Amino acid sequence: MNATKTKKFAMAYIVDRCVDCKACMVACKAEWQIPDNDFRTHIDTGIAPAATDRLSMHFLPHQCNHCDDAPCVTVCPTKASHKREDGVVDIDNRKCVGCRYCIPSCPYNARFFNNELGVADKCTFCLPRIYDGLMPACVTTCPGKARVFGDINDPESEISKALKDAADNRYRVWTLRKDLGTEPNIYYIQK
Amino acid sequence: MEFQTGFHWYIAVYLFLAGVGAGSIVVASLADIYDRQKYISFIKAASVIGMPLVTIGILFLYIDLGQGMYKPWLLLLLFVNPTSAIMWGTLILTIFTVLSLLYGVYNLGILDWFIKKMGFVKIFRPIAASRFMNWSLIITGILTAGYTAVLLGVLKAIPFWHQTSLPILFIISASSTGISGAMVVKELFFKEEAHLEKIETTHFYLIMLEILLLIGMLLIALQGVPEMKFSALTLLTGEFAVEFWVFLVLLGLVVPAFVFAFVEAGKMHVSGGKLVFFELLVLVGGYFLRYLILHAGVYTQKFTDYIMIHY
Repeated sequence: MNATKTKKFAMAYIVDRCVDCKACMVACKAEWQIPDNDFRTHIDTGIAPAATDRLSMHFLPHQCNHCDDAPCVTVCPTKASHKREDGVVDIDNRKCVGCRYCIPSCPYNARFFNNELGVADKCTFCLPRIYDGLMPACVTTCPGKARVFGDINDPESEISKALKDAADNRYRVWTLRKDLGTEPNIYYIQK
Repeated sequence: MEFQTGFHWYIAVYLFLAGVGAGSIVVASLADIYDRQKYISFIKAASVIGMPLVTIGILFLYIDLGQGMYKPWLLLLLFVNPTSAIMWGTLILTIFTVLSLLYGVYNLGILDWFIKKMGFVKIFRPIAASRFMNWSLIITGILTAGYTAVLLGVLKAIPFWHQTSLPILFIISASSTGISGAMVVKELFFKEEAHLEKIETTHFYLIMLEILLLIGMLLIALQGVPEMKFSALTLLTGEFAVEFWVFLVLLGLVVPAFVFAFVEAGKMHVSGGKLVFFELLVLVGGYFLRYLILHAGVYTQKFTDYIMIHY
């Protein structure tokens, strides 16, 4: 029954498990041979303001959110940036003219300009890999298993289980800037 | 806050040159409708810079491209996505460039030279000389100037750009710098006696409007979302404060406004080299307006939900 239903890929970060080791960033770079100073995924770190009495630090991974209503897809003049049936926002490098318009259009600052190829670049959820039965490179690498990936339309997938588990245990689950109406597909889970 | 890094000074140059070119043609077309004989030197001067500056601007866009620069056939794809502001702009620029080229060669007498060489070209003459041409140029010229701001304004990721005042500000600035550009060319190459008081008065009011709009925009931004406030502060007191206060406010707006106010009041007469100098100041201000607005753009913050709960 599930086979007839379209896939919708999504990712979740269990943020309590992230220790800012940056293995995901390195694995992604190695998988995709990204130019020297660029990364497709990052980890945002920050220290709580000194004024608060409870000093804390956060590690929040981020990458392309593969939005359902992606601003980059709206503004791309050549339709090189497009939303695939399986939920992945992909860039067709053959069509990209390299106008850079998508870069400031992304509220998540997930895109960068690949100077070696002359095109816009970002996470593709490791597109060929995931159809070879593998997980995205960042998910495979993450030593703390902070990253969970899968088809959100399949109740048996790891991500569906992780989200169900979070709901059952009343963990906090959120997406980035829901208010912008981009309908992102990366979930943050915190116990 | 993270500054946007996608658009840099190439784009600022493009926004500026497209504005000057389009603005000069819009004002020249209005003057043409009003009294062609009286303003002919201004119309000719605007024709010299109108289409060429827009084209040079487009050239800056072109060299800013990635693989589109060495695979120019991909540029045909710029028309395929109707939701993209770049598609609207490409369409507007294509129409404006063709029309302003025809209008320019007609005004400068080049069209008549071509008609002597190739008779069939004469079919273009009545079109170039028509009121329809003037109005088409006014509309597409305003769209060209306004579109450069809509390009930035549609991006909700950069709150400082995402405001309606931006196209109005850019259209006013384009008209003002367009007059300046044409005045410089007129003073240098078309020195015949001309009575351009009405254009000078218009120019003064455009600069005053630009000052007021800029003040309003910054006051609103200072009370806006944190990203807008941050952008406004980088201009007023932050890392772009020197460029903002010296090149945009003082040299680009306040000094020309004072000088043109004295001229309006009849207390001062500015012409020749002095006029060129003050018009160049307006042009410097016009460039810095685009440059600063581009560079002051910061991304909307993405971790607000997390930070609200935890800090």
